[in-house]
Amino acid sequence: MRNFLRIIVGVKFINKESLKKEKQFIIVANHNSHLDVMAIMSSLSFHQLKNTHPIAAGDYFGNSKFKSYITRLFTNAILIRRSKSNGTDNPIDAMNKAIQKGKSLILFPEGSRGEPGKMQEFKKGIGILLQMNPTIPFIPVYMKGMGKVLPKGEKLLVPFNTYVAFGEPIFITSTDISTIIIDVEKEIINLDKKLA
Amino acid sequence: MNLFQSEIYLQNKEVILIITLILGILIFSTSLFFIWGKIKPTSNLVELKTRTKSWWMMASIFIFATVVHPIVSFIAFGLLSFVSFREINSISKNVREEDRRVIIWCYIAIPIQYFLAYKGWFNIFVIFIPVIMYVWIPFMLVIKGATEDIARSMSILPTQLMLTVFSISHLAFLLSLPELSGFNAGGRGLLLFIVFITEINDVFQFVWGKLFGRHKIIEKISPNKTWEGFIGGIVTTAIIGYFLRFLTPMNGTEAIMVSLLIAFSGFVGDIILSAIKRDAGLKDTGTAIPGHGGILDRIDSLALTAPAFFYVIYNLYYV
Repeated sequence: MRNFLRIIVGVKFINKESLKKEKQFIIVANHNSHLDVMAIMSSLSFHQLKNTHPIAAGDYFGNSKFKSYITRLFTNAILIRRSKSNGTDNPIDAMNKAIQKGKSLILFPEGSRGEPGKMQEFKKGIGILLQMNPTIPFIPVYMKGMGKVLPKGEKLLVPFNTYVAFGEPIFITSTDISTIIIDVEKEIINLDKKLA
Repeated sequence: MNLFQSEIYLQNKEVILIITLILGILIFSTSLFFIWGKIKPTSNLVELKTRTKSWWMMASIFIFATVVHPIVSFIAFGLLSFVSFREINSISKNVREEDRRVIIWCYIAIPIQYFLAYKGWFNIFVIFIPVIMYVWIPFMLVIKGATEDIARSMSILPTQLMLTVFSISHLAFLLSLPELSGFNAGGRGLLLFIVFITEINDVFQFVWGKLFGRHKIIEKISPNKTWEGFIGGIVTTAIIGYFLRFLTPMNGTEAIMVSLLIAFSGFVGDIILSAIKRDAGLKDTGTAIPGHGGILDRIDSLALTAPAFFYVIYNLYYV
């Protein structure tokens, strides 16, 4: 999978060794394409792969039984609902439970893929989750160009030179949710600056 | 079919000689920089060392691809075109989002072009990209229907194909040329000659420029290009070409003239790609080969020398 991404698509993996430094982590990445999850997951070791769950939108991947089964089978995803919860199934709870079990998560706090190359505002979930679990570091990941390879609403994959840059694991320093979110966002944007 | 027929190709004295020469130069420069670094530890050799390392890698891949079965060579050159096209296409800021489905046609053109080269169908090989794709791409763009900046895409995509696929495929076509009586080295010899001369020209233009470079040629595009480097480079290249003419059917005068042509077109290819990179806001086009920038930085001169050399040789000896 990684070789397919590297040779055919032209994805360059930068500093993926940083994934090996911590046992449990929350990967936080910008989101432009379905390839994002594959690019991140193909950088994980086999052991990590078993214990890492991407967080996916239940209203998109779970809207049919078949789709939800396939998504869970191939990516091990935890499906959550993006819309406001009605109290009974809070999406944060599902993520928190997985963390308590010692699992790692992959999170796209932008919520949806959006337009290629543009970053949207981060959702609150990541802030709450990190605030609840301050002993778990987050790993910022910045991906460039994936939206060109396979943008939203397209089925045809076109090769382009793209990057996946992994940052160092970081522990949060603040207890305020909105400060945490700003910090996470800053770390991801910093990775972009390093690429240029 | 035995893909590793290297014994057969290695019976060819000329080819063995040039491969020995390439390896000799690499061993010489590696040990030179090693000793230099030991004697004067202060001197900054990091760039030169990474460059030599990359040359080792490229030379081994290239030599491997030329001495094994031709199919392997065609696939290798096809991959080179593929990676180069992807790079030039990715860095271009003028490719629109609406073009992505048309870009697929460009990728489809790569195996077709190399298939034509493999079959040696010269007449269609030579028009496939400059004529057929030149019409097909605008046609597909029109069918797609997004008219804003469409003329720009119509000209950019075929140009990118020309620079990375059409040009490089001439290297592969050399291997499909028929045998000439009294000329032993064959297509393989020609291929080794053009690649070796092109790269040696690059190296010597760089070296002469570093040593004596004063007067800049086109500072805006390529600040490292100087008249001293250019003239030193083409003279050195012509001399080396004269001595390597045993790889080709050329006589002494022809070898010198053709080497001068290669040196000049290598320079032109270099600055054309430099200008494209500048337009994209990049100095190096990628980071595929350490110390060399991207793939494009290595094939820039080949993009022009390969067709230039091919047509001279073809018209002199194969028509």
